Amino acid sequence: MELTERDLIRNCQKGDSAAYEELTAKYYRRVLMVILGIVHHREDAMEVAQETFYKGFRNIKSFQGGSSFYTWIYRIAVNLAIDFQRRQKRAVADSRENMDDVVVASESLGTDPYRELRDRELGERLLAAIDELTPDHKAVILMRAVEGLSYKEIGRIMGCSEGTVMSRLHYARKKLQEKLGPDL
Amino acid sequence: MSDCDRIQEWLGAWLDGELPQARSAEVKLHVEKCAACAAEKVRIQRLDAALKRALEARVSDAAFAPFWAGVRERIAQEKSPRQRVFDWMRRGVAFPRIAWGVPVAAVVLIALFSTIRPSGWFVPSNQASVESIDGHGFNVALLREAKTKTTVIWLFENQETEDENPVEPAASEQAF
Repeated sequence: MELTERDLIRNCQKGDSAAYEELTAKYYRRVLMVILGIVHHREDAMEVAQETFYKGFRNIKSFQGGSSFYTWIYRIAVNLAIDFQRRQKRAVADSRENMDDVVVASESLGTDPYRELRDRELGERLLAAIDELTPDHKAVILMRAVEGLSYKEIGRIMGCSEGTVMSRLHYARKKLQEKLGPDL
Repeated sequence: MSDCDRIQEWLGAWLDGELPQARSAEVKLHVEKCAACAAEKVRIQRLDAALKRALEARVSDAAFAPFWAGVRERIAQEKSPRQRVFDWMRRGVAFPRIAWGVPVAAVVLIALFSTIRPSGWFVPSNQASVESIDGHGFNVALLREAKTKTTVIWLFENQETEDENPVEPAASEQAF
């Protein structure tokens, strides 16, 4: 019988690391995506995401169940990522790949290489543009656009009101649209 | 502010389903009639979708096994609270700029403990001291008994100076 998330959390609180491994498997990619959007550099994002789940394990006993597990773990992730980003600004350039390689890779997979290339290029420009936002603006748009969290949940994670979430989101979207221009 | 400017401020929240019902209806009605705001709506949708796609593409090859290995390693390396305090103190001593902090803290603590003695903190103990009186060859011994708060004072001759400075036989006195 498959355990519910609540059962898994209860088992984690009793010190069952296998239950925590299962929870981590469920959420690590989603957490990694948001962290990657904030810190930009993949290796750094991996480090911060691992630290997030380690801290989650250490503090799981304090999780009361007032919010969902992912909201709780997101709060840890976003705070760690914002702290990290404030401490250390890395160059965007080193994560960019050679576009010729993308065309070759796409052709070998049998997909439309031009569409793939266009999407890839837009994605890279978008990530470079997002890196120019403040950590708070980044976190808000990532949690909404990538994760689809409600304003209430984002506000709880960021420690601000729903109105602040709304205005930060509006500002972030406007800035990204300006950066990307007609390509969007 | 034109109608379009006002509506475009709410467009994102409307697409996110976060507007109150009345305002949501107002935005919907406007977007159905206005080509510029309809185009803006599509741009926001494209932006969100492109962002999600870009990030998904970048984490799609992040396998779980090495990720979990990193988390497990951190858990395994976790130190006991005692070890963390020890490490913290050792780090403090290792940094020359704050190394002086350790003896200063020790002196401050000793000073505090020697002046502040709230009741119940310490088990009362007896105190004794011996003082010599210069030039007269006498010593004074003080014994303070903590339980009954009795003080005993002895005045006695110093044997080493007896030959050099002969004096009258020592008088002994007790005070309570």
